Amino acid sequence: MAAVVEAARMAAVRRYDILDTPPDGAYDRVAALAARLFEVPVATVTIVDEDRIWFKATHGLEGVTEIGRDPGLCASAVLSDDTTVIPDTLLDPVACSNPLVAGPMGVRFYAAAPIITADGYRLGTVNVLDTRPREISEADSATLADLAAVVRDQLELRLSALHVVRAEQERRRVEQEKRQAEEEARKRAERDRAAIAAFASTLQRTLVPPALPAVPGLELACHYKTASPQEVGGDFYDVFPVGGGRWAFFLGDVCGKGAEAASVTSLTRYTLRAAALVDADPTAALKALNTALLLDAAVGTRFCTAVFGLLDPARDGGFTVTLATGGHPPAYHLSPTGGGGVQVEAVRAKGGMLVGAIAEAAFVSRTLHLAPGQGLLLYTDGLTEARTADGHMLADTGLTDFLAQRPAPVSAGALIDDTVALLDTLPDTERDDVALLALSVPTPDAAPAGITTTAHSAAAPTTDVSVGQENRRP
Amino acid sequence: MTDAFHIDVPHTDGALAVLALSGEFDITTAPAVRTRALELIANGHPHLVADLSDVTFCDSSGLGALVGIWRCAKDADGSLTLAAIPDRLDRLLSVTGMDTFLPAYPSAEAALAASQGNCTTP
Repeated sequence: MAAVVEAARMAAVRRYDILDTPPDGAYDRVAALAARLFEVPVATVTIVDEDRIWFKATHGLEGVTEIGRDPGLCASAVLSDDTTVIPDTLLDPVACSNPLVAGPMGVRFYAAAPIITADGYRLGTVNVLDTRPREISEADSATLADLAAVVRDQLELRLSALHVVRAEQERRRVEQEKRQAEEEARKRAERDRAAIAAFASTLQRTLVPPALPAVPGLELACHYKTASPQEVGGDFYDVFPVGGGRWAFFLGDVCGKGAEAASVTSLTRYTLRAAALVDADPTAALKALNTALLLDAAVGTRFCTAVFGLLDPARDGGFTVTLATGGHPPAYHLSPTGGGGVQVEAVRAKGGMLVGAIAEAAFVSRTLHLAPGQGLLLYTDGLTEARTADGHMLADTGLTDFLAQRPAPVSAGALIDDTVALLDTLPDTERDDVALLALSVPTPDAAPAGITTTAHSAAAPTTDVSVGQENRRP
Repeated sequence: MTDAFHIDVPHTDGALAVLALSGEFDITTAPAVRTRALELIANGHPHLVADLSDVTFCDSSGLGALVGIWRCAKDADGSLTLAAIPDRLDRLLSVTGMDTFLPAYPSAEAALAASQGNCTTP
């Protein structure tokens, strides 16, 4: 039973975490105060440990930090709730053999008040010692008990401060762990985002030509940018030979974004290429695409708008262009005027419908002559739907005004460069993908360097790559 | 900057339902319109009238949603009629040739009257 009581008392001692802590002015003052009040040479504040008596504070007993738990003095005093008073230790049967009494110190008077916690555990004692016997009054006993209570209060204060500090440390530790976890998650997300962007960029490069071909007698330039590096765009374009010196080109926009749109883009691109090789007529190519899109069960509700053109070299060095549109905004035909300006004509093939939405869709084509000095611009609605600083869309009128201010003769490369520069001035071009394709026929007196084919490639996040090629018409 | 987008169904009458849209009808809001319209079709209202009088902006994604809804309505022997088309969508419908397939009326009332005529025809 006594062992159980002692174990609980030791648990309380440990709770206050006071053993072996460095000297502390508050306890030293209690010891000094006790010595002065009782006019004794020695006063101490002790904590009774399992196997020793540890001195938290000493007055008149320098250099002593602990003594054995020999019976007689502190070890006995801590067993009682009352103040222990031994007026003459030599007359006390137990105290008389204590080393402090029997040893060189020769303690003759001893009084101690237990330090009792709020929940009733006696941690140690506040002691006064003298080398001569003496009596103390009941009031003095009570004073000693009050000093022990002061020590108790001090210990409680210290404990609650410890709790606060520990709670704060714990809070910081948890916060630190949380920050580390967040940082980890952020890095992981960054890695994932980079992986997705790299994947989208790779996939995107399979959906648009890596570089434009060199078409004799024609300058070609393009620009392609997806709205987001994480998503594959739905815009597409291509330029390819169809035999007999003729070339075909197309540009369009699949409704939607992401992997599903990419599958339609891929289907669209190879269908148009294959169809053109069977029948180079642009309306036939669009009709074939319409059928293919409607047949593809996986595609289902996806459809696209497209412009398909056929280039036939003409005698004057220019080209006859047959242009069919499937629900796509008009292409712009730029012709130099006599005054050095440029006339802008929207090329519409009225009646060309959305491709892949309706089995009955009709497509029509128009023919125009692209003479030396003239140009043709094809674009997706990411350009005309881009919003200007005042929140309005650039729209057809904005684009027409911009094109009308171009100098003649029109060069495809400069046209694309300037249109991209125009896009760069707009605040909100992340809304949609943009594909631009420009064709121009250089004038005979154009720079002797010949014809340049420039591709502003392609999907972010790879930086724009310029591919320059020179080719003279044979 | 973007207006709050709303889809309301202010009126249903047998096979007919009016789908009233307000705000920006674009890539972010088009999927919700499509989902709501397909619900209406599945719940026995294959004849839809899209009231676009409060649509402040409509781009190609909005048009795409309308074409998708039209196809689904057609598969359910229904129809899609447009009412109070914003200018921009009007141009888009014309450019894409879809104006020949999607009948349009100046107001929801007019579209409703026309649709009622159509869907009572056996």
